[in-house]
Amino acid sequence: MEKKLSELEPGEKAVIISIKPSPNYRHRHRHRWGFQKRLEDMGLTPGTRITVVRSAPFHGPIEIYVRGSRLAIGRGMAERILVRVEK
Amino acid sequence: MKKDKIIIALAGNANVGKSVIFNHLTGLHQHIGNWPGKTVEKAEGTLHFKGYMIDIIDLPGIYSLSTFSIEELISREYIAVENPDLVINVVDASVLERNLFFTLQLMELETPIVVALNQMDMAKKKGITIDHKKLEKILGVPVVPTVATNRTGIYDLIQTSVDAIEKGDRKPAKIRYGEEVETRIQKLSKMVSKLQLPYPARWVAIKLLEEDEQIKGRIRQPDPKILSAAKKLTKEIEKIHGHSCSTVITSERYEIAGCISREVQQIVPPTKPPTRERLHALTTHKILGYPIMATAILSVFFTIFSFGDYTSQLLSMLFKYFYSVYESLFGTEILATLIWGGIIEGLIAGITIALPYLIPFYLALYFLEDSGYLSRIAFLMDNLMHKIGLHGKAFIPVMLGYGCNVPACLGCRIMETERERLLATFVVTLVPCAATSVILLGLVGAYIGFQWALLLYIIDLLIIFVLGRIAFNILPGEPTGLIMEMHDYRTPHLKTIVKQTWFRLKEFIKMAFPLIILGSFIIKLVDVLGLLEPIANILSPVTVVWLGLPTITGITLIFGVLRKELTLLMLSTLFGTANFANVPGFGPREMIVFTLVAMLYIPCISTIAALVKEQGWKRALFITFFEIAFAIVVGGIAYRLLMLTGM
Repeated sequence: MEKKLSELEPGEKAVIISIKPSPNYRHRHRHRWGFQKRLEDMGLTPGTRITVVRSAPFHGPIEIYVRGSRLAIGRGMAERILVRVEK
Repeated sequence: MKKDKIIIALAGNANVGKSVIFNHLTGLHQHIGNWPGKTVEKAEGTLHFKGYMIDIIDLPGIYSLSTFSIEELISREYIAVENPDLVINVVDASVLERNLFFTLQLMELETPIVVALNQMDMAKKKGITIDHKKLEKILGVPVVPTVATNRTGIYDLIQTSVDAIEKGDRKPAKIRYGEEVETRIQKLSKMVSKLQLPYPARWVAIKLLEEDEQIKGRIRQPDPKILSAAKKLTKEIEKIHGHSCSTVITSERYEIAGCISREVQQIVPPTKPPTRERLHALTTHKILGYPIMATAILSVFFTIFSFGDYTSQLLSMLFKYFYSVYESLFGTEILATLIWGGIIEGLIAGITIALPYLIPFYLALYFLEDSGYLSRIAFLMDNLMHKIGLHGKAFIPVMLGYGCNVPACLGCRIMETERERLLATFVVTLVPCAATSVILLGLVGAYIGFQWALLLYIIDLLIIFVLGRIAFNILPGEPTGLIMEMHDYRTPHLKTIVKQTWFRLKEFIKMAFPLIILGSFIIKLVDVLGLLEPIANILSPVTVVWLGLPTITGITLIFGVLRKELTLLMLSTLFGTANFANVPGFGPREMIVFTLVAMLYIPCISTIAALVKEQGWKRALFITFFEIAFAIVVGGIAYRLLMLTGM
């Protein structure tokens, strides 16, 4: 089942499918893929398994476990990460 | 060939213990500055070892060598172009895969490397054992296990590094990508190798396939044909894999890092969750996390400001005593007044305001950062900070701004990209500091009413919010959300924290004090020459006509640049009374306008100095003049609005 990373519950495991470029981002800037590249550099490449650990209240960031480390990802970015939920 | 001067660079992810190693290696021979023309800190130090003089450069902590941040760009330019004799790659053994991803990129730069496999103790606690000999064989570079916090392996590390340099150029192993990518890299690198570039050809080829803008720019000039070839190859790879080429390469690189780490490490997770895990769960808990954070921050604040206040007063008293001695010795002639009022007062301002707060501030900041709690606070506060266009990490500097803008400005260095740093710094200078709050309470609060003081405070917050949003939208660069590693909690290395504090402080004094002293000297000179009143008269179109204030307030606002708390003092001197209730021409309306302007116009000369240090002259002056103009505009509007309401 495909979902956004932001929609996962704590404890759920998933595999990353893709990262959508930011919609409201103006293309005149040079580093068009900055944020996507950044997420990938932090290890969130397609096919990577992740586990959601918890999410901060009031629509805050999401803590995930990936490649043996803990990452905090802002809600806005998590909404652009497409994942496949694993049973 | 034996040379006696060696340059070694330290590189690695953030929070891997790089600065601890740097401090062990360099001791007290350090110099902290900025990279030329950049707002990124550069730490340099020297070490004498076996007849060599070794220059150690601590590169910024980064996760990749792409162009996401200015730090990454600086690091790779430094390694590729400046060509240090060796790079010590500090690796966190407890998060091997992520760290190796960076190591692989260093290897692609074909620079001689020694890996410091640090935090072996932490890895052990997490049940991870690493076969470092095997890792050494796979990577083709020496690997030295270290526990920097207790000096384990540090001697070995430097010995191995010097050995490696003496033995001469030992290139790290080549990283082979998947067949589809690998053949295209080789094709492209053959074309690139004909050009004269400071970078290795294979690396350039990889970067071209990753669509690295900076490298593309370097190639366009000598040979645009290579660019089109690269574009074609990129498209081919995209067609095969269905992802962008840069994604494919990053993916494969991580795959390799994963394979290597699985090969060399064994993990037996501890059976019951260790204390640091429970502490992590507690401090990020959706309910309990907040009171814990509030308590932590308040106690840090309380410590900083009670220490600062106490020391500041003590020092002021001391200087007052000095002044009486000085006066009896040199009298009150013009020159004596000028020297005291200009130079020594400036020095006192620096010593009594900046230092007492800066010392505990730096200690606390490094403590929070090193222990790992800072990232938990950022995690909890991210959403709130987004409202003003910042993200969670900015919470600490912004909060600090309420006490004093100077450490707050300096604290903005914890932000990751240059854009975020500038944004946070700008917002921080708008935050009303303790001295501004004194004006607010002492004038508006005392003579008009507390609710008016509160109202002004709220207006100020709204202004911060609006200006923050505007700056967020007009600043160039991509707005970035929070992507942050939350490393395991650990006991901070006290000696490193103290040293970091000491060297930053020294840097601040060197940078800011001349500016503060010069500023107060000029103002005092103007005063002594009897130019204050003429200047106040020149300013009167602004102060009197536009803001509706008495002429002499112009003088106080000038003095306020030195120290904001002086504004009230000056006002009472000039009005000849400490009771502002019955001053003609200075009623509630004028008080409100005056306070608003004092709150918004550039904080004080120490803050300007901090701005210059962090952001450079151009931006510091821009922010300063913008805020002065803005304060005047807002003050004028407020004056007219208040007239309308008949106040």
